[in-house]
Amino acid sequence: MSSVLELRNLALGYRDLTLFRGLSMDIESGSTLAVLGANGSGKSTFVKMLLGLIDPLAGNLNWTQGKPREIGYLAQMTEFDRRFPIRVRDLAAMGAWRGFGLRRGLDAAAQKRVSAALDEAGVLDIADRPLHQLSGGQLQRALFARVIMQDAPLILLDEPFAAVDQSTEAHLLSIIRRWRAEGRAVVLVVHDLSSVLDHCSHALLLGGQEAAYGTVKDVLTPARLVAQGYMSESQASWMFRSPTPMQEAAHV
Amino acid sequence: MFELLQEMWSFAFMRRAFVVTTVLSASVAPVGAFLVLRRLSLAGEAMAHAITPGIVIGFVSAGLSVMSLLIGGLIAGVGVAILTAFLARRTILRSDASLASLYLIALAVGIFILSAAGSAVPLKSFLFGSILGIDDPSMLLVGGVATVTLVSFAFLLRPLIVSTCDPVFFETQTRRPWLVDQGFMLLLVLNLLAAFKTLGTLMAVGLMILPATAARYWASTITAQLILGFIFAVSSCWIGLTLSYLFPETPSGPAIVLVAGGFFLVSAVVGPLGFGRQLRKPSVSKDAPVATIQQEEKAQ
Repeated sequence: MSSVLELRNLALGYRDLTLFRGLSMDIESGSTLAVLGANGSGKSTFVKMLLGLIDPLAGNLNWTQGKPREIGYLAQMTEFDRRFPIRVRDLAAMGAWRGFGLRRGLDAAAQKRVSAALDEAGVLDIADRPLHQLSGGQLQRALFARVIMQDAPLILLDEPFAAVDQSTEAHLLSIIRRWRAEGRAVVLVVHDLSSVLDHCSHALLLGGQEAAYGTVKDVLTPARLVAQGYMSESQASWMFRSPTPMQEAAHV
Repeated sequence: MFELLQEMWSFAFMRRAFVVTTVLSASVAPVGAFLVLRRLSLAGEAMAHAITPGIVIGFVSAGLSVMSLLIGGLIAGVGVAILTAFLARRTILRSDASLASLYLIALAVGIFILSAAGSAVPLKSFLFGSILGIDDPSMLLVGGVATVTLVSFAFLLRPLIVSTCDPVFFETQTRRPWLVDQGFMLLLVLNLLAAFKTLGTLMAVGLMILPATAARYWASTITAQLILGFIFAVSSCWIGLTLSYLFPETPSGPAIVLVAGGFFLVSAVVGPLGFGRQLRKPSVSKDAPVATIQQEEKAQ
C-alpha cells in the first residue's frame, strides 16, 4: 500500500496547550483510520490540521504524491445552516464547485455524477427537496453525496454517525467500504468504541498528552484506554469482559 | 384617480424618484437576501449607523456632495467592518458584540460632530433622505453602486452560497475565506450609502431587510429568494411613492418602508414557510413543522 500522507514527529496544540507530541505515522491509501479520544483530546484539531486549517506546533507533514487538490471533508453539524434555501441536489453539487469556478454551470456529465452520488447515498428520490424538509439522517446522506462528489484521495469524516439511525449508519458504512476498495484513505473520528471500529484497519487514540497509533487490535487495549483517560478502569473491565454484553444479549 | 397618476408622471422629480428606486431595489435586494441568510440582519442596521461619522465629517469638511458622502462613508464603514472582524478574531467578544460597541461609538461621534457643526446641517433629510429631490450626481451614485453590486454578485454568488450554508466546509475549500466576508461587507456599505441619499440613515436598511425577510417566507431556493426579494423591493418603492404623491402629507421614505413592512406581514401570515403552513391541509404540505427543525437544532 502506498501512503498518501506521512506525519513525522508531530506535535499538535494551541499556544498555551500541547495536546500531544512525537506522533509519527503514515496514512495509507485503501486504509480506514479511526481517531478516538476523550472530549478535548484533539480529535477535531487533528482533522483540521490534516485539512491545513491549523499548523502543527512541530514536526512535518509530507504529502507523498503532492497535496491533493481536494480533501473530502464532512464536519460536525454544529455550524451547518439547515434553514438555508437550497435543494439536496445543489448541496451535493457543492462538492464539485471548485472544478467549475465562479461562473460556469454544471455540464451534463457533472449533472449525471450528481445524480449517481445522490443515488449511492440513497437520497435521489428527494433530490429536489429543500434542506429544511430533511430529517437528520437524510441530511447526513446528502452530505455524504457531497463528499462523493469531491472525488478525493483522502476523506476526513468528523463524527459522521453522531445523529443517524442504525440503518443509515450501515448504509453510510457501505459507502466507506467502497472508498476503501477504490484505494482512498478514510479518516473517521468516532466518539465511542462502537461497531464502527469493525470497519477500521488502524486506530489513533488521543488523550493524556499522548497519541498512540497502530492497528485497532494493538492500540485499543483496556490498559491503554484507561491510561489515556478514555475510560475508567471499571468501565474498561465491564466493556472487555468475556463474553461481551452484545454476545450475552445474543444468547438470551 | 387615473388623472392624478398621469399628473404624477408628468413631474420630472417623480419620474426620477421611480427610476432611482427601481435601480436601488435591484442593487439592495441581493445584499439584503444574504444579510438575512447570514444572520446579519441587525448588523446591517448597525452598519447604517456606523457610517454616520464618515458622512458627517465629509459633509462638514466638503459640503453635501456625493463624493464627500461616498469617501467619508466608505472609510467609516470599512474601518468599522475591519475593526469588528479583528476584535472578533483576537479577543473574547463575538462579532455582534464587537460591532455593537464600535457602531455606538461611531454613532456618538457622528452626532457629536453634527451638533457641533450647528444648524447648517439639514437634519431631516439626513435622517429620512430626500427621495423627491434627487440630483444627477446622486443618480450616478445609485447607478454606479448598482453596477458594482450586480457585477460583484455575478462572481461572489457561489462562494457566498457555500460560505453561508456551510462555513466550515467553505474554509476547507479556499485559502482566503475572509475575502468573501469582507467583500460582502464592502458591498453592504456601498449600498447603504446609495440608499442613504434616498431613504436616509434611519430607513436605508428597511428596503434591504424587509423585502428579503418577506421573500424568505415563500422561497425554498436561493434563486427564488433573490428574484422575489427584488420584486417585493421594487413594488414597495412604486406603491410607496404613489401613496406619498396621492396623500401629500405622507413622507415618501417611511411610506416605502411601510409598504415593504406590509409585504412582510402578509407573507408571514400567508407564506408557505410562515404561518401559511398551518392554514393548509397537512397532507398537501411535505414540510416538516418548524418546531421539528428547532428541536433538532437544539439537540445538536
